[in-house]
Amino acid sequence: MNSFYRCLTALLLISLTFTSNAQDLVHKIPANALAVATIQGKNLMDLMSLTEFNNSFLGKELLAKHAKKSGKPFTTFMDLGFNLASPFYYYNQSNDSVTYNCFLAPVKDAAQVEKLYAQADQKISLKGNVRYYYNSDSTEVARWNGEMFLFVIARGKKEYFSKPEVMERFGLTNPYPIADTVAIDSAAAAVDSLAADTIAVDYSEPATVEIGPADSVVVDTAEAYSPDPFFKNEDQKKSIVASWTQRMMDDFFAGTNKTSILNNIDFVKNVDAKAEATIWVSGVDKLFDTYVPTSYLKGFSFLSGYGSGNVKLYLEDKSIRITSSMTFSDDIAAVFKRVHKRKLNKRFLKYVNEDRMIGYLGYAVDTKAYLEEYPRLMSKIYGSVYADEIGMAADLFSLLLDEEAIGKVFKGDALFVFNGLSQKEVSYKSYEYNEENFESKEVMKTKKETLPDFLMMFSSEDTRLMDKLIAYGVKKELVKRGSGYYELSIPKSPLALYFTIKDNIVFLGTNKMEMDDIASNRSVAKISAKQKKMLLNSNYAAYFSAKKLSGKIPSEELGGAEKLEKTNRVLNSLGDIYLNSNPAKGNVLSGQMSMDIPANQPNALKYLLSIIEDAKK
Amino acid sequence: MLLKYKYLLSVFILLCFSSCFQIIEEINLTSAGSGTVNLTLNLSASKTKVASVMLMDSVQGYKVPSKQTIQKELDEVVAYLKKSPGISNVQKKVDFENYIVSVSFAFKDITNIDHVNQNVLKKLKIKGLNNSSYTYNPKSQVFQRSYQHTKEAVAEYNKLKPEVKKVFKDATYVSIYRFEQPVVLCTNPLAKISKSKKAVMFNTGVLGLINGKTDISNRITIAK
Repeated sequence: MNSFYRCLTALLLISLTFTSNAQDLVHKIPANALAVATIQGKNLMDLMSLTEFNNSFLGKELLAKHAKKSGKPFTTFMDLGFNLASPFYYYNQSNDSVTYNCFLAPVKDAAQVEKLYAQADQKISLKGNVRYYYNSDSTEVARWNGEMFLFVIARGKKEYFSKPEVMERFGLTNPYPIADTVAIDSAAAAVDSLAADTIAVDYSEPATVEIGPADSVVVDTAEAYSPDPFFKNEDQKKSIVASWTQRMMDDFFAGTNKTSILNNIDFVKNVDAKAEATIWVSGVDKLFDTYVPTSYLKGFSFLSGYGSGNVKLYLEDKSIRITSSMTFSDDIAAVFKRVHKRKLNKRFLKYVNEDRMIGYLGYAVDTKAYLEEYPRLMSKIYGSVYADEIGMAADLFSLLLDEEAIGKVFKGDALFVFNGLSQKEVSYKSYEYNEENFESKEVMKTKKETLPDFLMMFSSEDTRLMDKLIAYGVKKELVKRGSGYYELSIPKSPLALYFTIKDNIVFLGTNKMEMDDIASNRSVAKISAKQKKMLLNSNYAAYFSAKKLSGKIPSEELGGAEKLEKTNRVLNSLGDIYLNSNPAKGNVLSGQMSMDIPANQPNALKYLLSIIEDAKK
Repeated sequence: MLLKYKYLLSVFILLCFSSCFQIIEEINLTSAGSGTVNLTLNLSASKTKVASVMLMDSVQGYKVPSKQTIQKELDEVVAYLKKSPGISNVQKKVDFENYIVSVSFAFKDITNIDHVNQNVLKKLKIKGLNNSSYTYNPKSQVFQRSYQHTKEAVAEYNKLKPEVKKVFKDATYVSIYRFEQPVVLCTNPLAKISKSKKAVMFNTGVLGLINGKTDISNRITIAK
């Protein structure tokens, strides 16, 4: 007996270990999923143990909320019954008639998962080893066994159910006829393997449809429908959608789906096991069409040429990083390549001083290429509907604009450097009342206004137009001439703007001394190799140091010392933020955003939780 | 009376995003019951913001009126006042340098102001806000301002966008009543009586009026 018990224990342990290691349900995701989001439970648990999370501020709050909702005590996330060390998935599966939002989770203890639905109005049914939960109209269904949990929210597509042949087949009526029907793109409608039409044939007589297990709440007889024609129709549609969902989930649990998302090369290539979370979209255009009915778009293809895309979140020891990338069609990629050929003017860096700088925003595009490509892009979006009009407008656009000349005046690169905030006194009129008889007297009072302190630069090869504008401004006394620079006076504004043109760069800034230094070659540059690389190697780059901003915001702006202290505390706890685009690789454009985490923080996840906790204080 | 300001405010309310303004109401009342009124809307403290907003066509979804529109609307108010019974000597003053607008007029009887109020409200189709009125009894020498807070004011305020709500945070409302004889009794504890005892001032935040926390009703008894 003793040895039998030991064997059993060993077997149990082996099976447990096996389950926790290999419980990746990715192979269950169908190949035609439009979008897949992944959360790597293991990676998160490597950064923070479950016990630590349970005891964290956020963990405690979530557990308390969950306990309150379910009416049962929860002390650890383990009690939810999921295998938290395995990946969790969300995916979207759509066709011309229905959209399924599916949540797929690895199960550790099916009975514990049941507790999630253990409220009075939420009934669970059991069939074999599979547990079922349905909402009142069966458009939200959860099913799970000892291995996996699938929750599906299904929504029927209005356009599909408005088609005359579909309405006829299902015996639907049209209580509110649509005046303006738009033809559905037949190619798009024919897309899916789960083609609704083929399934729908089986359900041509909704009154006789037998749906779901006997104890489910699916509406399955015509008598059960609402007497109001509108609601009757809606109920009927929901029951049709519910029957499809039922079929889809049956197949899912039976494992009849042979092709999984792992057959999609783009998905496999873009899922990084090191990322804590990933969102992958098979085709941005397809997903857009799924959520935005074609009748709204009137045949315009806003995202035509946009292919697959992904966003990944990395919580690392030293930083939080979000990367994103998007694949484009050959012609759109060619446009981006042309427009992105320009690089930021190197000479801008001579005027950047990191000691003062709080943030920057730099971009470099080729104005001439952009102006030339713009009409073509427009014709791609609107061309299918207004081909003639767009053609004429594009010709007129090119005729009126001299792309080359404009490209010389504004080459297309600019750098905006944010140096902080300053305060300036402004006067205003108010009234004072004498004590004798409250007679009013006009008085001038002063108050402080907070202004941004910045320097902006852009390249220009041809400054003749600007020279003329300056001469005109000086003549009209809107522009004051300084030594090598100009001052632009803005009526009633306390903000003074200074500008100058030098070395084919136009400078515009708020600091008189800085402009004077630029004009008289006294600028002192200080820029790190990291910032230099960011700016010169990217078409778009941005940087912001919250820490440098802390202590520079006047308390008047935040309405009190207490709020100021809190803001400064949060700003101080934030690391430097970087954002930049990467050079194009083939037809793929990508970029990333990252935030450094303070040295005293063990890793990004713990740091994020500490920020949330701090902000809530 | 507050509602007449609303008429003026309909133009100006949009101008002072994230800034403050001041409303000043002055009434000089003779023992016989006639008198003068001076209303002022002062946006000077936020003139830089108003100036920059005025450069735009619309801000946060609200249409920004031009100088011409503001002048025109004000002219309409003046024209209306001139036609109103018992109202005379209507004058307006617009200072676009500091964004201060004021309108003054003389009245034969205090009830004339109430009529003006009600008609302006009718014209603007504003319901439920006609909650302020003035009475003066020359025999008993009692001047009374009745004011009742309405929930509609809060409801209208709650409909505003948060950015616009901020405008009201620091906005102030000053009301001054001057009499020929000294004040004997003033029922509102928030009101201040001048040294000469011939004037009563009320200085409060606009937000308190909107949410009903401040009551501006008052009953002032003047010496015979």
